[in-house]
Amino acid sequence: MALARRAEPVDLVIPRGGEESRGALRSRLRRWLPIGIGLSMAVVMIVVAAAAPLIAPLSPSAQFSDSVLKGPGAIERHLLGTDEFGRDILSRIIWGARVSLEVGLASVLFSFVLGVPLGIVAGVRGGPLETAIMRCADMLMAFPTLLLALIIVTALGGSLVNEILAIGVALTPNFLRLARSLALTIRDQDYILAARALGGGQLRIMARHVFPNALYALVVLASLYIATAIRTEAGLSFLGLGVPPPTPSWGNILSEGRQYIKCCPWITTFSGLAIMVAVLAFNLVGDALRDLLDPRLKGE
Amino acid sequence: MLQYISRRLLVAIPMLLGAMSIVFFAMRVLPGDPCVAMMGDQATTGALADCNKNLGLNRPLAVQYVDYLWRSLRLDFGNSFRQGYPVSDYIGRMFPHTFILVMASAVVAALVGIPIGIISALKRRNPLVDYPLRIIALLGLSMPVFWLGILLLIVFSLRLDLFPLIGGGDLDGVLAMISSGEVFSQPRDFLAAVADVLHHLTLPALALGFTLAATVSRLSRSAMLEVISQDYIRTARAKGQRERLVVYKHALRNMMVPLLTIIGIFVAIALTGTVLTETVFTRPGLGKMLVDAIGARDYPLAQGAITVFTMTIIVVNLVVDMLYAVVDPRITYR
Repeated sequence: MALARRAEPVDLVIPRGGEESRGALRSRLRRWLPIGIGLSMAVVMIVVAAAAPLIAPLSPSAQFSDSVLKGPGAIERHLLGTDEFGRDILSRIIWGARVSLEVGLASVLFSFVLGVPLGIVAGVRGGPLETAIMRCADMLMAFPTLLLALIIVTALGGSLVNEILAIGVALTPNFLRLARSLALTIRDQDYILAARALGGGQLRIMARHVFPNALYALVVLASLYIATAIRTEAGLSFLGLGVPPPTPSWGNILSEGRQYIKCCPWITTFSGLAIMVAVLAFNLVGDALRDLLDPRLKGE
Repeated sequence: MLQYISRRLLVAIPMLLGAMSIVFFAMRVLPGDPCVAMMGDQATTGALADCNKNLGLNRPLAVQYVDYLWRSLRLDFGNSFRQGYPVSDYIGRMFPHTFILVMASAVVAALVGIPIGIISALKRRNPLVDYPLRIIALLGLSMPVFWLGILLLIVFSLRLDLFPLIGGGDLDGVLAMISSGEVFSQPRDFLAAVADVLHHLTLPALALGFTLAATVSRLSRSAMLEVISQDYIRTARAKGQRERLVVYKHALRNMMVPLLTIIGIFVAIALTGTVLTETVFTRPGLGKMLVDAIGARDYPLAQGAITVFTMTIIVVNLVVDMLYAVVDPRITYR
């Protein structure tokens, strides 16, 4: 009796039609709901960022001396309140989405473009070249992402391009390592042997056979790291090392609002909420993509 | 084992050297002159030249580099440009603050994250339990530590006035009392000082701990999922053992090995987190020291802080690798 209760349930009875379709529907919902929610949130964010000039009710740098540090709804035209210069928080958050998403997407693209070819070359070629590439990657891996980005952005100075470079370089070893480990498995496959037997050069094999077969897992990793990149950008901006003011970014709005948390907590609350929603959206997409496309990455 | 340790150590040395070189050269290409940062724009050329000479910045870069490496080997990071005191003194004073913050947040993260991970793995077929737990973990993972810190400050310090807004308490005093033996002569003062330090520590540890708990819960969930699909768990269940015993006696212990890898990742994330957490809570510590040093272009102080961060991460990863063999006798080293 005890055994029967504790053993894993085994379906010996063939489910009836209605039950089966309900079960299938539930499992499909379970699979597609998170990616649906994540993707729609991400798409909304991207549209808002792209259409900032059209959507934002006011200019992000327009100062209204009659409405300094006003709470949400206190003045009709400022839905989410204003900051210490009387600038509209909602407009600044909408424009701030541009910086966060640009840095998030471009830095991941940068690390993908830099890390993946190096990783594939290291994996396929092997030898001293692989050792050299991997030791460099190990060296960069010794630094946590934010710390390395902080060092680089400090050296280069705070600007949009430098932030993209800094976060991109900091994320590169992750792509490099995954690309190498995938290349190591792929290079021993029969189809690579066949391609080689047909006279394919090493470069052609890497580009035409290894890369396409590694692409799924790499795209999943990229989607997961967009969230990391957005969070890192917000951290850098918060520390005053991001895009210099008055250009709004979620991190610097939050950082500026820190001085006024006593009287005006809405500045930090709404800008932080924006960061969280963006990170959450890309985390959801990344997670769902990973479960769908590449269960091997579950531990990442 | 000994051979393995020495090989790992040998690999760690070039890694550390490389990391230190990155720090050195990154600091040297910084825009802005540290002497200008110290003396202001109005300083005369002569005064600036003197300042550069005093700080050793007029020497060739290669000489400065070799000097920096040689001194760092002896844990001598030079003197702070601004205050003039040895950097190692600063690090010695700040390290305990960062250490207790990392430890306290590790406790919070473990207490919150591991049970959430285990329950969500064991109850994964029950969407009423699994879904809310996964959503909490996802929210924690998406919430920046500096924002959570500010929210905690708004609610618990400003509105409810339960915790201090800034500072880290008199940790130096506590440590001095321990080393001087005053712990025993004035236990009441000592306990009051400890309570004050803990009072200051609570909100930062909660903020950092909760954001880390998300990572811990995800990793322990996947560790638990891996373990409960093993044959020995099936065997334990097949022999009629109670589910509670199966979990406690068989699964938890075996979960420890994959969980150990978390410690390495955890320390790296936690140390990064301290940079932001200490800044939000205006708490003394290595992270805040680093941010302040970068702002003031105090090369030696920034280099010292980053070197200590990197060294800690490399050493912790090394220790974690060694610990595997202790926890799991199946792992042998060649």
